[in-house]
Amino acid sequence: MAIFRLHIPMLDEVKQKGLRPALKDKWVDVVTRVTAGLSPDDMRGVLRDDTPGRPNPRLTPHAEGFWLHMKPTYYHRMVDGLYPTFRLGWLSTFFGVFEIVTGIYLMIYYTPSPLVAYENMLNLLSNVPFGQVMRDMHRLAAELMVIVVVLHMLRTFITGSYKKPRQFTWATGVVLLFVTLVLSFSGYLLPWDQLSLWAVTIGASMVEAIPPEVVGRNVNLLVRGAPEFGANGLLRFYLLHVVALPLAGIVAFGVHYYKVIHHGHSLPPEAEKVGEDTAKRVPMDSRVYFMPQILTRELWYVSGLLAILFAAAAYLYNAPALEPHANPLITPLHTTAPWYFLWLQGMLKVGDKVVWGLIVPGLLTGLLLVLPYLEVGPSRRYGDRRIGLSLAALFVAAMAMLSYMGTPHYAVSTSPDQEAVAELLPQTHPGPLRSAPWEDLAYGSFEASAWAAAPNATLQDLLREFDDVLTNVQSAGRTDVAGVMVIEDWQTDLKKVTLRVTWTNVPDGTAGEFSQSVYLHRNGNYGEGA
Amino acid sequence: MKGQIALGLLAFLALMGVLVLVGVGEPNRMAEFTAAYDSRQIETGASLFEQSCRPCHGPQGQGIGGVAPALNAPDLFDGSRLAAVGFSGTLPDYVRGVIAAGRPVPSAGTNYPQRMPTWGAEYGGPLRADQVDALVAFVLNWEGRALAGGSAATPAPTGPTVGADIGVALPAGDAARGKALSEGGLGCTGCHVLAAVGPSWPADGGEPGVGARAETRFQASGYTGKATSSEQYLFESTVLPNAYVVDGFQPNIMPQNFAERLSAQDTADLLAYMLSLR
Repeated sequence: MAIFRLHIPMLDEVKQKGLRPALKDKWVDVVTRVTAGLSPDDMRGVLRDDTPGRPNPRLTPHAEGFWLHMKPTYYHRMVDGLYPTFRLGWLSTFFGVFEIVTGIYLMIYYTPSPLVAYENMLNLLSNVPFGQVMRDMHRLAAELMVIVVVLHMLRTFITGSYKKPRQFTWATGVVLLFVTLVLSFSGYLLPWDQLSLWAVTIGASMVEAIPPEVVGRNVNLLVRGAPEFGANGLLRFYLLHVVALPLAGIVAFGVHYYKVIHHGHSLPPEAEKVGEDTAKRVPMDSRVYFMPQILTRELWYVSGLLAILFAAAAYLYNAPALEPHANPLITPLHTTAPWYFLWLQGMLKVGDKVVWGLIVPGLLTGLLLVLPYLEVGPSRRYGDRRIGLSLAALFVAAMAMLSYMGTPHYAVSTSPDQEAVAELLPQTHPGPLRSAPWEDLAYGSFEASAWAAAPNATLQDLLREFDDVLTNVQSAGRTDVAGVMVIEDWQTDLKKVTLRVTWTNVPDGTAGEFSQSVYLHRNGNYGEGA
Repeated sequence: MKGQIALGLLAFLALMGVLVLVGVGEPNRMAEFTAAYDSRQIETGASLFEQSCRPCHGPQGQGIGGVAPALNAPDLFDGSRLAAVGFSGTLPDYVRGVIAAGRPVPSAGTNYPQRMPTWGAEYGGPLRADQVDALVAFVLNWEGRALAGGSAATPAPTGPTVGADIGVALPAGDAARGKALSEGGLGCTGCHVLAAVGPSWPADGGEPGVGARAETRFQASGYTGKATSSEQYLFESTVLPNAYVVDGFQPNIMPQNFAERLSAQDTADLLAYMLSLR
């Protein structure tokens, strides 16, 4: 008699059924547990698109598993096509998850301190395998996510899907839009280069305008951690970016998706009678089951998008090249906010900082939030919503216009001579001079007007461009505008290039001059976008 | 649906393919980025040098006699300067240390009247560590040319010097020789012609040249020196620069030791050249 007996049930089964059948049963059991209800045969059936048995085993994972418990078991055939959803909500979710995954990879190599953040970026780009492509993908997907989320909102408005009973779904969507924008914006600061610092400074300066002064000053202190961005501000933006906002986003997403499923995907406006909502009553012959159709499609979308994003980031798209280290004392010419906040920068140019930077955007946000409670007409048909749709089109046009006004092309008063030099030697990106082949920068002094006489095509192109922009310097107050490019041998493999603009001031005949120099090394490699 | 499964698999394979392709190229890409970064450090260093170092070390690092030693010189790179100073570390460490911490006392064997200022932020200077590194990269990039000869060593003054009494009679000056002196080891052009560290010598933006300005300045109100002629005014500005500082400029930027460096003939030549700039 054994003192102690080890009981392995599997061995009993092997004894009873023999080895192979026992192993097979075990396999079936494990797969069924992992999939929360689908046996290997059921899964094969899903992939082959066989007719399911009764009761349909493909519904069990929805009922018993966590991951599919919110996912509907079937959709209406009318919302399964590209129209009316354009898959924009799904894409937003995909990009959200994608950002979390690539973001975690980047987090591993990043420390939120002004002392090392920039160095971390250099390390990521120079010493971390896949570091650059990960950064590019994170940035690319962030930009795409902003686009997709905005389009998703527009689509929901256009098809009237936000009307009763889905008003609250819309409101959670506005929260998600806000989270997306601020997530993207807060990530801007983290590389701690000049682009980061100044793009975010433009945005953050808005809160400083909150009246009265004591509130603005203190809110500004809360946001930036000090009167200007520094160690505290960077840490705050980092924590916003990696903890607070993702958390808020995940919670808001949970509510948003729950509400979407709870009310059902709204059908195309023309498919229902006015005032009727039949999304939850799907006739048997109109059902498209999650398994197999939707599942297969979503899986192939994921693998397709991953391939596209990876290839695009590797070969086509580069996140903006790292600019010089953040420097609170030097504001680069032509600093702009991120493109999705250009409309705000445009508004600031229209007028008062408080009115246009705070009150109007605040009212717009509030309006967006309560829009479904304002447009209460029962009809979702396009024909019945002419006023609403026209106003929306007008709003989109206004935003586009304001965004244009936010760019440096509109109403930025800088000296035309500095602008002319910045055309060749921009302060926010490499530009034509730095990207030109180093060998072609022949030593000498070249007149812009005599560009045709330059020794090679590269110099001719550069000088012609210089000559072209010099016409902007010419004005009623400035005549005899001339430009010179001087290229000197400075050190081994190092050239000094000076661009000089000279003119005569008309009223007093005095001479004016503006010049700027740049040093270019043989291996600076600006042409590569690195 | 079969099509979708096929497409999905194909996309997955494509993803893996791109992953491998990118992965194979990564060592190369990282090396390229590093090379480009090192080059851009040199570029950054060059512009920092122009702003901060040039007034004393000369536009091309050739040094200015009595002000600051040459950097574009073989002795810095062949080890003899380190040996003279008694520094046993590497050259990059030496250069970084001197830039970051400055020189509270002159090095052994030298007696420059001005001290190298502290530049590194960790010692209370204005530059971040990466900016100091950029300057080091720029200075070290002189190695090839410096070892091939570099700039000529700053000539030591010969014979009796002119002194700081602006009343002494000077010999007849030769403007051409004065011009050569100003462009040579004295380093005048570094601040007065090529950059606006000191008042511009040539006519500039409506202002006449230094020769013309000198004629009126010693009679202008607010003038604090003792000169009674344009020649004496320029003489005084050279050997006693703080006797009167032109509006818009700071005292103590101009080297204070030209009285001990210039011979009477050199002074006369320089003054003749300056007076010719109108």
